[in-house]
Amino acid sequence: MNGTINLTLKVWRQPGPGQKGKFEIYQAKDINIHMSFLEMLDVVNEELILSGKDPIAFDHDCREGICGMCGAVVNGKAHGPKKGTTLCQLHMRHFRDGDTIVIEPFRSKAFPIIRDLVVDRSAFDEIIIAGGYISVNTGSAPDANSIPVPPQNAELAMDAAACIGCGACVAQCPNGSAMLFVASKVSHLALLPQGRPEAAKRVLSMTGRMKELGFGNCGNERECEAVCPKQISISHIARLNREFLKAGLFSRET
Amino acid sequence: MSLNPSIPSGPLEAKWTKYCSEIKLVSPANKRKFEIIVVGTGLAGASASAALAELGYNVKTFCIQDSPRRAHSIAAQGGINAAKNYQGDGDSIWRLFYDTIKGGDFRAREANVYRLAELSVKIIDHCVAQGVPFAREYGGLLANRSFGGALVSRTFYARGQTGQQLLLGAYSAMLRQVKAGRVSLFPRREVLDIVLVKGQARGIVARNLVTGELESYAAHAVVLATGGYGNIYFLSTNGMNSNVSASFRAYKRGAFFGNPCFVQIHPTCIPVSGHYQSKLTLMSESLRNDGRVWVPKDPKDKRRPEDIPESDRDYFLERLYPSYGNLVPRDVASRATKAICDQGRGVGPTGYAVYLDLSDAIKRDGKEVIEKKYGNLFEMYERITGVSPYVSPMMIYPAVHYVMGGLWVDYNLMTTIKGLFSLGEANFSDHGANRLGASALMQGLADGYFIIPYTIGGYLASDSFPPVSPSQGEFEDSKKEVSEFIRRLLSVKGRRTVTDFHRSLGSIMWEYAGMERSDEGLRKAKGMVEELREEYWQNLLLTGGEREFNQNLSKALRVADYLEFAGLIIEDALTRRESCGCHFNVAYQTPEHEPLRDDQNCAYVAAWEYGGKERPPILHKEPLVFENVTPGIRSYK
Amino acid sequence: MNWFIIFITSSVGKKLVMAFTGLCFVLFIIVHLFGNLTIFLGKESFLSYVEDLHRSHKYLIPLAEVFLLIFGLLHIVFGLVLYIQNLKARPISYNLRKNAGGRTVGSGTMPYTGLFLLIFISLHLVRFRFVEKITQNDFTILINTFNNLGYVIFYILAMVALGLHLSHGIWSSFQTFGVNHPKYNGLIEKGGILLSILFAVGFASIPIYIFTKLS
Repeated sequence: MNGTINLTLKVWRQPGPGQKGKFEIYQAKDINIHMSFLEMLDVVNEELILSGKDPIAFDHDCREGICGMCGAVVNGKAHGPKKGTTLCQLHMRHFRDGDTIVIEPFRSKAFPIIRDLVVDRSAFDEIIIAGGYISVNTGSAPDANSIPVPPQNAELAMDAAACIGCGACVAQCPNGSAMLFVASKVSHLALLPQGRPEAAKRVLSMTGRMKELGFGNCGNERECEAVCPKQISISHIARLNREFLKAGLFSRET
Repeated sequence: MSLNPSIPSGPLEAKWTKYCSEIKLVSPANKRKFEIIVVGTGLAGASASAALAELGYNVKTFCIQDSPRRAHSIAAQGGINAAKNYQGDGDSIWRLFYDTIKGGDFRAREANVYRLAELSVKIIDHCVAQGVPFAREYGGLLANRSFGGALVSRTFYARGQTGQQLLLGAYSAMLRQVKAGRVSLFPRREVLDIVLVKGQARGIVARNLVTGELESYAAHAVVLATGGYGNIYFLSTNGMNSNVSASFRAYKRGAFFGNPCFVQIHPTCIPVSGHYQSKLTLMSESLRNDGRVWVPKDPKDKRRPEDIPESDRDYFLERLYPSYGNLVPRDVASRATKAICDQGRGVGPTGYAVYLDLSDAIKRDGKEVIEKKYGNLFEMYERITGVSPYVSPMMIYPAVHYVMGGLWVDYNLMTTIKGLFSLGEANFSDHGANRLGASALMQGLADGYFIIPYTIGGYLASDSFPPVSPSQGEFEDSKKEVSEFIRRLLSVKGRRTVTDFHRSLGSIMWEYAGMERSDEGLRKAKGMVEELREEYWQNLLLTGGEREFNQNLSKALRVADYLEFAGLIIEDALTRRESCGCHFNVAYQTPEHEPLRDDQNCAYVAAWEYGGKERPPILHKEPLVFENVTPGIRSYK
Repeated sequence: MNWFIIFITSSVGKKLVMAFTGLCFVLFIIVHLFGNLTIFLGKESFLSYVEDLHRSHKYLIPLAEVFLLIFGLLHIVFGLVLYIQNLKARPISYNLRKNAGGRTVGSGTMPYTGLFLLIFISLHLVRFRFVEKITQNDFTILINTFNNLGYVIFYILAMVALGLHLSHGIWSSFQTFGVNHPKYNGLIEKGGILLSILFAVGFASIPIYIFTKLS
């Protein structure tokens, strides 16, 4: 299976934060279908540079679907049409010759645009700062096997911990909520015995911070899990909700 | 200047403990007064930031990505080694030490490697306490898998995402210190110079990648944990932003560079599919536990791999290395693969690939078991290639993955610049001429969590520190230099793009300074790189300006450093008159095509000193003394 | 009570209020539907049910009404706050946005079906609750109302909106309370939708029945 396709790209261009942006149309010719989406953008950018124009700015690093740095809304969906896939792992074989592809940045009040498709997701760091950790100082831990963890819990915790912090959940959520992101960390740590001592405090402070940062509220619309490149389930949001109820009504934390 | 590795005296097993109990301490009240800059937020940088802040130091942490969680440690798949001997299969600290030093082909320091093996145990304890969801047995205790270069099961893992989980653990620990007010984060910053005041590293100049402005930061010590320079080969498994710039600028300021030619080529990567290829993706080495590597016996055999019967397959690793089979160390597996392909026996559209086949394991253990172990890797393979490994064997080919070379550091992880430390892949210290699988994570975390917090205290307690300000002369001069460099690049106004230059550089390096090297090829490469560098400064085409978010410019700065640094790799490879580990010079090989070491003359660490602009670098040799192990022939037959 | 205010005005807390009040309405609707369906047993059964209800639960009914009013106001106010906050969370909307597979017609129209139901309930109360019941009784009001085709259509539309609202609302309330388990998810999701259909069809059948049979 080899071949090339021709595409029309409609890309959001915005020179800087808070500045006016607009869509520009580019032709992507002779795109090898085995290219990744970002490699296709590389090809377009090389041509732009050669013609003296500014290349399309987009964030990317590992290009193997794990760092969470890339991401854009492609044809109306965060990370594009393929399920369980980051933009860097989306290959052009999933598009057809002659397609028009609309590429927009992740849009959220909490993710201000820096340039073109590049957004500032430091709000996610802020949420983790609020409590996404287990407070343990280096060197003070007991032997690793002194804390047995039921393997099914370890597996569930790993499902949640697989979050790459890309922000697609926020981008796709009709309400711009970061609930899946918050839930993946809350759930990961709540499932492990090591995480229990701070569970109540964690869920209250992380959801509180999410609100302060301007993210929307979860509407259980399930769009987040549908675009999550790691296919993290909203059952983790349910666990967050349980933790929240417990913490809000029965713990001493507020 | 003489090289002093500052290795403590005493028996190997007691060195670190004794050292820790004798090291000078900084009082808790004084720790608050010290500022430490940490550059990089991979395993080493994030863990160092966290541990130092926990002790009470004020830490400023810098990274190039938008968030510290993106550092490329995140992509490590397979696992982390630790001498826990939870499996009761005869593992011990000594055995991990020995495997590591043997795996490195006896080109690493005994004392460092032993300390690493010793600390490996504490890493697992700490990470479990942090909530890293390692794989578990049915009874709830930790599971292990085996890995290349070892005969015991000592690798801890979290599916195929161990690096991610360990990094998120360190990242969270660091962010906890942000909340505590002891770590300040500076993301989207590229460090472009190390500032020395009276011979001490006292700060950095960094470019704010959002605004393009140059910023100065002062501190009492600087820690570089900036990873490796594998991207000099253009195609590698490194993240696109990984670069050598910070280390290289440190080198130019007087830090010696250790063993730059030791570059590891990982055997199991997804092969190149076309000219547009921007990077390569690794398939975890853990697949070699259950996978068998083969090519058809007849190179003209064009049947689908699943249709080729057992009798017509050549399981060449098992044939060549009966005792380790598919689990030989990375350098051995990579060279064997390359040799097979060079003989015209490779598969796939380019002929530069071999099969990695798990069908026997699927038959033996069932699809479910294999899916549980490798499901996400199989998915990843299918996503990239469009072929399901459950149906047809994977195709793999070696690719640049890791560099053992890096800034030369002593036992304290301090470079030859006072107060400049280097951790993780950025230093040269523990892996000799070849790194074993699942050892990079171990080293990054050992350096960050357990070594630097002690050794930096020793430095801070025993030196004096006149006050400095980021607006004083040294910082201003450095800023001016960097700014001049950027302006010169922007003023070239040529016709070739950065990526185009980078690709050319990469192909020169891969061809002549890659898996197999020869004096003739290296000399040729030296000339070619020189020419390319000249062209770069006359024909580079850049868009946009200095004071803006300009990814093209950031890349150009990195490639400019690569073009200079390439010369150092070549020089080092030419100077080392032997083959060892990943450095394979065709002039030094056994009749079986294995590397031939020269322990008499080459048991040294090459530490290169910057010789000045347009002048050759100066080689210093740190002799490697083996008191506890006898360098033997590294046989995996 | 400071902690409680913090609790219910938080992001998840507001959702909990929506879910709790919503589920209470579902309970009310069940009772309401069963009562109303007595119309199919004839005029006498219907009127005696109405009379029974108000006589034997003399204190319960006004109390329930007060709670329904409070819950209704809470549901409206919190719903509005959520709606506005969610709009603010994405000040610039997408040029092209597609459903990724999670959103349903029900979940996507919650604020609009909610608003429509608010209008409906207001009119419904004016028509059936806050009306003089000396010259007319509940049965005659019913017949008079649903002899008007316009009312019938309006009621049917409102019941479609109710069905849509609950097709998401019931499942969603359980999710908000954290009831999500692979063993019961199917029951909750399918049960929720089945219940929504039953409510919509059950309530809508009354005006249709009256319009076609009792006019």
